[in-house]
Amino acid sequence: MAENDDELEELGISTSLTRRQLVRRGLGGFLVAYAGALPKVAAAGVPKYVHKHYKNTLKIIQWSHFVPAYDVWFDKTYTKNWGAKHDTDVQVDHIALAQLPARAQAEVAAQSGHDIFGHLSPQAGLEDQVINHKEIIQEVTRKVGKVSQVGFKSCYNPKTRKWHGFPENYVPDPIHFRKDLWNQVGIKPSTWDDVRRAAPKLKALGHPVGLGMSNELDSNMLLIALMQCFGAFIQNAQARPAINSKHTIEALKMMRDIYKRGMTNEVFAWTAASNNQGYLSGRLSLAVNAISIIRSAEDANPALAQNTSVAPIPRGPVQRLGLEHVMGVYTIWKFSKQKTLAKRFIADLEMNYQGAFKNSKFYNFPAFRGAVHDYARQLAADPHKGKYNVLDLIARKYTVNLGYPGFSNAAVDEIFNTWLVPQMFAQVAQGKMTPADAASAALHEFKPIFAKWRGRGKI
Amino acid sequence: MWSTLRERGVSYLIVGPFAIVLAFPFYWMLVTAFKTNGDLYNLDNVPFTYHPSQAAVGEKLSFQHDHWLPFGFENATTSHITFIFSDTNYLRWVENTAVVGGLVVVITLLLAVPAGYSLARLSGRWGQSVGVGIFLTYLVPPTLLFLPLSRVISKLGLQDRLWSLVLVYPSFTIPFATWLLMGFFRTIPAELEDAALIDGCSRLKALARVIFPISIPGILTVVIFSFSLCVNEFVYAITFISGTKQHTISAGVPTDLIRGDVYFWQSLMAATLIPSILLALLYNSFLDRFIAGFTGGAFR
Amino acid sequence: MAEARPQTRRFRDLLEDRRFLAPALITPAALFIVLLVGAPLVLAVYLSMTDATAGQLTGKFIWFHNFTEAWHNDNFRRALRNTIVFTLASQAIVLVGAGILAHALVRPFRGRWFLRLLILLPWAAPVAVSTIGFLWIFDSQFSVVNWTLVHDLMPGGGHFYLYRPVNWVLGGIDHLPWVHVGKIDRLNPPQWLGQPTLAMLAIIFVQAWRILPFATVIFIAGLSSIPTEVHDAAKVDGATGLRKFWHVTLPLQLPIATVALLFGIVFTATDMTVVYILTSGGPFNSTHMLTTWAYQTGVVSSNLGEGAAISLYLLPVLLVVSVLMLLFARRVEVS
Repeated sequence: MAENDDELEELGISTSLTRRQLVRRGLGGFLVAYAGALPKVAAAGVPKYVHKHYKNTLKIIQWSHFVPAYDVWFDKTYTKNWGAKHDTDVQVDHIALAQLPARAQAEVAAQSGHDIFGHLSPQAGLEDQVINHKEIIQEVTRKVGKVSQVGFKSCYNPKTRKWHGFPENYVPDPIHFRKDLWNQVGIKPSTWDDVRRAAPKLKALGHPVGLGMSNELDSNMLLIALMQCFGAFIQNAQARPAINSKHTIEALKMMRDIYKRGMTNEVFAWTAASNNQGYLSGRLSLAVNAISIIRSAEDANPALAQNTSVAPIPRGPVQRLGLEHVMGVYTIWKFSKQKTLAKRFIADLEMNYQGAFKNSKFYNFPAFRGAVHDYARQLAADPHKGKYNVLDLIARKYTVNLGYPGFSNAAVDEIFNTWLVPQMFAQVAQGKMTPADAASAALHEFKPIFAKWRGRGKI
Repeated sequence: MWSTLRERGVSYLIVGPFAIVLAFPFYWMLVTAFKTNGDLYNLDNVPFTYHPSQAAVGEKLSFQHDHWLPFGFENATTSHITFIFSDTNYLRWVENTAVVGGLVVVITLLLAVPAGYSLARLSGRWGQSVGVGIFLTYLVPPTLLFLPLSRVISKLGLQDRLWSLVLVYPSFTIPFATWLLMGFFRTIPAELEDAALIDGCSRLKALARVIFPISIPGILTVVIFSFSLCVNEFVYAITFISGTKQHTISAGVPTDLIRGDVYFWQSLMAATLIPSILLALLYNSFLDRFIAGFTGGAFR
Repeated sequence: MAEARPQTRRFRDLLEDRRFLAPALITPAALFIVLLVGAPLVLAVYLSMTDATAGQLTGKFIWFHNFTEAWHNDNFRRALRNTIVFTLASQAIVLVGAGILAHALVRPFRGRWFLRLLILLPWAAPVAVSTIGFLWIFDSQFSVVNWTLVHDLMPGGGHFYLYRPVNWVLGGIDHLPWVHVGKIDRLNPPQWLGQPTLAMLAIIFVQAWRILPFATVIFIAGLSSIPTEVHDAAKVDGATGLRKFWHVTLPLQLPIATVALLFGIVFTATDMTVVYILTSGGPFNSTHMLTTWAYQTGVVSSNLGEGAAISLYLLPVLLVVSVLMLLFARRVEVS
């Protein structure tokens, strides 16, 4: 190629050539150094542990906790200590929330993977691939007492009498609201009717309420909880779809009113982060979300955190009842070679949940209530002056499982994962369907899903 | 003189708008990467300049006293950028991506150059069907292939190792490379080769001595494309490898920088910019190399 | 006399060579493909005819039940339609854009290196992370596009709002018979990822944005590898400028352009990343492509058999497209 360079120089295109040559040489040098490193890195493959050689290996995978400090505590402190006591090298991998189902199914397909898989919702669909977690439940019950209703109804399948997962923790779903703004309009968000009355006033102030109707987790949880407050449910206690009721229609009407008078169409385009970000920017005056919002505010905008109150979900005409925001469920695959060790790990973690409770900044509530002592005192000890006290009340009284009054099952899972409830609400709010039509259309969609899983013997 | 001036003007007029539209998101990412949380999440602030805000936990305002900086840069912070180096395994991800890409490019060239040449020159009727057959492998999306492939990978003992990617990626770089090279080889007139053959070379020697140098642009193009296909791949990278130290960039960034419903936007932007700029420089210098060899001659 | 015999022997070697050489050269590549793609493909076909769930690779045989089930679902039909629209629209933009851009870029001019660098950026960026960047650019509250449209861009002096001229253009478009576009409301700017049509436009834009540099490079490579003899011959024949373009450059580029278009179509139709990250198929399942719908059904909802069936629907469509294009390419081949 040297001749061509000369030719170009002859043609007078020489000025930028030096710079290009420089970049080219720099890149060339980098590549050469790289190529030298290639064989070394390629041969290394998976780095072997450089520390002690333990007899056993236990592999865990779970989501990246929104509190980075929790992951640091879990990965570097808790598992290392436990591992030292049990002569085990515990390896913890993390994965983004959205990739959990793909990874789980890949491990099933491959019939190899992690011994303990940490899901963020009960995985009734994977029932056939996991062991019966009954032993762990029994052991933990012996030590700290019974599992909560939330845990029981999330992870137990009454039809097959199998515990298809171990409920490790659940996250209560309070509302966050700006007490300064709500004081300004003179209303408190204690009932849904209050919210409906306040919505247009708050919007006029430039601070609308933020209730999403998008295909994402927060909207899903919020809307199902709203339905529950109105006495409407996805299924009844016998696992038959029960969505088409007058209660559902009332709930749909309420949401439509709130939207029409108090929100803009951005709520149909939200991601799970949108209500967080909208609230943190100071714009939204109400959001239904786990405490990730206020914990972020404490870091980024303390003045906003001061003005924020945390409260239970507003009461509907029938009751005040919310859902868990996410539920941490550990499962052990049937193909795992370390079942005993895995069971031991999970049991130990749950029985001494104190550390996890604190390090997650009260995000993780144990599914076995007795695993933590004196909630009230610990919550009150938080530096933010009693703001979190109400979490205990919410966790105890106002949180039920997805699929209440029935058990969480594969059909409910599928309905949840395909966003059928937010879509129903969105179509009514946008005037595309009447509430009655939407409810019966939803029933029409739910029935084949329930029939399919019933046919597979899971319900 | 007028015609060159006009030519130049036309060039700028065409290339300019394209460059602006294509590169604007990156400019935007650059600006965003330096923003503080208070500045970023404030709807009233101009997104292109920096504004004073209360620094969040962990944010350091390093330029606080340099009021001479433009765009309000004294209110910017570099802590979100340093976050990806200090709190995540970012450098390892970059290294892993480069290693996988490099190995896959080598494998692709070794297999696709002969195949492309064969399909372009040597094969008759059956060659076409084989060529089409190779191409058909693209038609099934990897979105579901990853499940059966997981089984293959685990049976081979490659789960959670970068070798699994090195094994699987050529399956989508080779068909493309073969086709591209086939196209290139076809545009080379057969006379050149025949001349070499008549002079006494065997086919293989003709391939090496005559065809290969002329098709350097094609080969470099294949290198660039194969590498970029590997860097972009996401589904297999996430499902075959779960250890954070073995992740590639596409797998590591969404895992560590998106936690539940909290997106670390500034860090995400920085994490995108770094490989993009490096790769663009790399690709650009490759392009340079083969165009310099030809524009001089072709457009005299 | 002595010359003739070596000639015939060489010719025979040639023929021998060809019959042996051709398969020998192709076999390694073909073998690789068959093993790594063929086997899982066969498995996928098998799965599509069973009721497999949740990652299990076996199930009860139910023949074509999954295929008919899938077809009867509204979402599936919409996904099929969307895939076609998405692919054609984005590739049309890419083809035209890349063609123009490549021609402008082969000539040297000042600053070309830098402008080319800018142009290469979208394709150099790993798609998973650059699309996450677009999530922020199109965010429902913090979108920089909306900010630029709605805010005063020249405060202090004269006021300039970008949405006003845009609304003027939109108003003009509204006069066209079948088209109805609204106007940009200052207090409620467009939801790029929340309204079905806008979401579709956003997805098409992002895909075209990232494929354009790729196609441009292919075109540039194609233009550069036209041997100088061809250009000289053209000059001798008196063909310059537009005539040269039409009669010489374009036909020579056609095989490469066809390959570029073909791969662009295939990569777009089988791509899941852009749609999955930007909208996950929303709002209301209106932007699902076959790939994301197959993923949603097969992986997220655990109906593996059905998901496999949905993704196999792409096969005949792409097959037809590919065969047509390949026939076309062969006809315009350089002899």
